[in-house]
Amino acid sequence: MTRVSATRVSDVPRVVGSHRWNAGRIARIVVMVVIAAAFLLPIIGFIALAFGSQENIESGASGFLNLGGMSWENIVYSWNQITGFGPGNGGLFQQWMINSAIVSVGGAALALVAAIPAGYAFARLRFRFRKAFLIATLLAMVMPNTVLVIPIFLEVNAINAVGQLWPVAVIMGFYPFGVYLSYIHFMTTMPHELVEAARIDGLSELRTFFEIALPISKQAIALVAFFSFVANWTNFFLPLALLTSSQQNKTISIGIQELIGASPLFNATVAAGLDVKLYLPQLALATVISMVPLLAMFIGAQRFLVRGQTIGAVKG
Amino acid sequence: MTNHLLEERAKTAAPSDTRGAGTTARRRRSWLRRDETLGAWVLLAPYTVLFLVAAAIPIGYAFVISLQRAPSLVNPTSGFGGLESFATVVGDYRFWSTFINIFTLMAIWLPIMILGIVALALLIHASPGRFGGAMRFVYYIPGALGGIANFVLWVYLIDPVNSPIAFLWQGLGASTYKEVITPGNMPFILTAMLFFQGIGTWIVVVNGGLNGISDEVLEAARIDGANAWQLAWHVKLPLIRPWVGYAALMNLAYGFQLFLEPYLLRQISSGSVVAEWAPTQLGYAFAFTNRNFPAAAALSIILLLITLGIGLIIVTRSGLFGDETSTRTTRAQRKERRTA
Repeated sequence: MTRVSATRVSDVPRVVGSHRWNAGRIARIVVMVVIAAAFLLPIIGFIALAFGSQENIESGASGFLNLGGMSWENIVYSWNQITGFGPGNGGLFQQWMINSAIVSVGGAALALVAAIPAGYAFARLRFRFRKAFLIATLLAMVMPNTVLVIPIFLEVNAINAVGQLWPVAVIMGFYPFGVYLSYIHFMTTMPHELVEAARIDGLSELRTFFEIALPISKQAIALVAFFSFVANWTNFFLPLALLTSSQQNKTISIGIQELIGASPLFNATVAAGLDVKLYLPQLALATVISMVPLLAMFIGAQRFLVRGQTIGAVKG
Repeated sequence: MTNHLLEERAKTAAPSDTRGAGTTARRRRSWLRRDETLGAWVLLAPYTVLFLVAAAIPIGYAFVISLQRAPSLVNPTSGFGGLESFATVVGDYRFWSTFINIFTLMAIWLPIMILGIVALALLIHASPGRFGGAMRFVYYIPGALGGIANFVLWVYLIDPVNSPIAFLWQGLGASTYKEVITPGNMPFILTAMLFFQGIGTWIVVVNGGLNGISDEVLEAARIDGANAWQLAWHVKLPLIRPWVGYAALMNLAYGFQLFLEPYLLRQISSGSVVAEWAPTQLGYAFAFTNRNFPAAAALSIILLLITLGIGLIIVTRSGLFGDETSTRTTRAQRKERRTA
């Protein structure tokens, strides 16, 4: 660190930050590191908890942040408890993960099909109500989606589709932030002249989109897919309202709520009737496993995200 | 009426007349315009359908339902009830307490949140190079724990016996979950949860605003003898005001829709906090416990109007969504345009 700043001082005049080890700089670095520790230690402790056992934790044998109590046997035991949850031989946990994958991927696919052409139309085509529709989209983007859950429940209830997965995926496909990302993408990467040139060449509006705009929108596709997948996977209230009535059709986020409710820590009577015992290590493991698809998506999309932070500086 | 219709017809007829008599260029332009409109709506079709299904129709339907009379034992038929359901909701003994709960939380959480976002974004901006980048990444990590994952992490942290911060809970005299999660502690626990989960993304957003400040501005301030503190307070902070305002308003709107955290805290508190702590929970109770759909719809409409109001301010006044929507340009935007 010191070496890097030292070489830079001699080469380029720097305008932000100071280069000498004065009291201010030391204070700043200490504060930042302490805050970083406060952010990271709970997460490290939580992951260690997923590798721990209830007996060790209760007896205080696991040491600082449970780091001393980690073992592979604990994971295997906890995994058996989690997957044993459910009627008969269990298996609800796996079913919930599959359901989450179905609605999250389905929702993200719909979001892509809707957002990329819509973003292009908003950015590069002129039509009536364009501005009004764009403002409605921005409003939908900044409004918290929980507000609409009860009205959506009433609508889905009216068509007798409560408890089914497909309405959840369809609703998740409505992703105005994706439209905004795609809009910004076409505004910044596709100049008007390119559209004009395509028209002069006699391309129809649709062919211009499919043959010129779409091939240069890899970045936007990756970002919309990533952000909508993450939003769908972590969505709680919508699946709670639409899927609670069907145990088999729950998603993992409301499934974990079910596991919490079946823990002897919080509901001794329910837990007493179960073959499996779900204490904090088991709940932590279920949670960590439920995060794996998000982590995989994050790693897969990482090179797009670095630049995406600059296009989507306004978060959804 | 007739005049109006005639005017309408004249308006629609006009383009075809000009096309008949106009030059080739004009004919070509009007053909292009029509083709462009058609193309735009074809491209917008999937999104428009989803917009209708997931936003417009539910809102309209909720509005219709909210005007119905809730079926009761005495009168099991429902029909038009006017504003009866709105009166039921506002008159409910839990209605005002849910809003008081939310306002109490906001009074504690929002200042801490905004202060934290601004302070950490400024600290990162004052730390160029790899150290600042690494810190920004670390601050972002908790934000990756969305929804229920953040909650289960907090189930571990508020465990009064085994948590790494158990000393805090024991200091408060609590030895069970029920004793930690009390009505009085709710705003503080929720503040901690929302801060931990939300701050990372907002640091990135405000940091984006800071990175937009041109080097010349900072250079000039430094030549004038500003130290790091003065630079942050007098130069950077005024320039990132639109981003900070945006963060404040978005978090404000977010507060009104809070559901998951109070709902699940209730679940692990063995009933020491009420099931209708937040307005959304009250809506959930109307819909799923009382099966009073008109009241649930009416409450949704009330929440919708509040968040829509905040949303309108964000979209039209924050200056972050470009000239098309903004009614005024911010200093940051003018600067952006100059540099572009």
